[in-house]
Amino acid sequence: MSDQLKSIVFTAVIALVCSLLLTGAATGLKDRKLRNVAVDRQKNILKSVGLLDVAQKPTDQRIERLYQENIRCYAMDGTGRIVPGDGGTDGLPVCFYVKDSQPAAYILPVDSRGLWGKIHGYMAIESDGETVAGFSVYSHNETPGLGGEIEKPWFQQNFVGKQIVDTSGEFAAVGIAKGKVVEAIAPDRQANYVDGISGATLTGKFLTGGLKDILLEYEALSKQFRAGQVSLPAGS
Amino acid sequence: MKMTQSPTFKAFSEPVVKNNPVFIQSLGICSALAVTVQLKTAIVMALALTFVTAFSSLTISAMRNVIPRNVRLIVELSVIASLVILADEVLRAFFYDISKQLSVFVGLIITNCIVMGRAETYALGNPPVQSFMDGLGNGAGYGLVLVIVAFIRELFGAGKLFGFSVVPQVFYDYGYMNMGFMQLAPAAFIIIGLLVWLQKSLMKT
Repeated sequence: MSDQLKSIVFTAVIALVCSLLLTGAATGLKDRKLRNVAVDRQKNILKSVGLLDVAQKPTDQRIERLYQENIRCYAMDGTGRIVPGDGGTDGLPVCFYVKDSQPAAYILPVDSRGLWGKIHGYMAIESDGETVAGFSVYSHNETPGLGGEIEKPWFQQNFVGKQIVDTSGEFAAVGIAKGKVVEAIAPDRQANYVDGISGATLTGKFLTGGLKDILLEYEALSKQFRAGQVSLPAGS
Repeated sequence: MKMTQSPTFKAFSEPVVKNNPVFIQSLGICSALAVTVQLKTAIVMALALTFVTAFSSLTISAMRNVIPRNVRLIVELSVIASLVILADEVLRAFFYDISKQLSVFVGLIITNCIVMGRAETYALGNPPVQSFMDGLGNGAGYGLVLVIVAFIRELFGAGKLFGFSVVPQVFYDYGYMNMGFMQLAPAAFIIIGLLVWLQKSLMKT
């Protein structure tokens, strides 16, 4: 066998063995990986409505049980109606925190630009359609210690109780102030802002824009909540 | 012959201190900056790298007499890449939170010069068991640096160790503040620099 042929056969065998090994590992662990991703999503949805204290290190089983008991996910179709399934081409996913078979809060997936990459998380609005119930972030690429603080409880806690409408009831979204709210924002707008993170002005700017876009997308639903006319589809 | 003088033991012990891959050879600095904000991520990263280095050295050393010379780098890379993906898969399946924090850095073990360096310079010329120990030793040497740096960064940067607060609240009440700088990559640079200095001056005597 010539040297060249030997090299080709050898590399082919190595490639085959390696790929078999990796295929085996990937398929064998697939279920566990998918479950981890699902539990992480559920954990952040629960966090956004304040049902879960992450500091207590809840088990996967507890997260899944809490989620099953309290959260229902549907879609909002192009006209703002809540339907089961994915709501067709204009459908947007939306979840509800259901308490005594009434929606106590609705949860919007947040998909915003950040300084270094996408910021993903959830924002929950109370059933009055105006008050923020909570905010959580499950993936981002911001600088640790600066923009990365958006994943910390102190920052997310500030969203609770903020308003997405201004004092006259018009849509205003909720934004991140540059600095402290009490110093940087006019008194009548303070309910629409949370304290900024020092050293992370740009992260705040992008997240403010992202939150505004998302809240606008779901404004049709928020209006229904403000008018008190939301009914969830039966079943599922 | 004493146990500590056997070539197998030496293969393990030399890279831990005397020929430390980070201090002496200045390899693997990139990930040493990135994953040392917390002790937990640093330890997992060190374990993942030790696993990859040890088993890639073992595999390559076992095949060293049959690998055709002209394709040896490709073969080394295939073995290393497979082991890295394997480590990443296991982390994703069993330690999801940590794997999220380590993000791309587990995958980047492939490009860590320590792994390739050991395969190329040691495993190709030494028997499997010795190569395996050499891989373990280099992983341990790298891990030792990571743990020291992470200890300093987490303690001064966040006032915590392994995620538990260790700086008492009283300190904060009297105006003690965490050093935000420790959370950033340049802090690791400075700590590693100081450690290299310390190690060099200790070795001289």
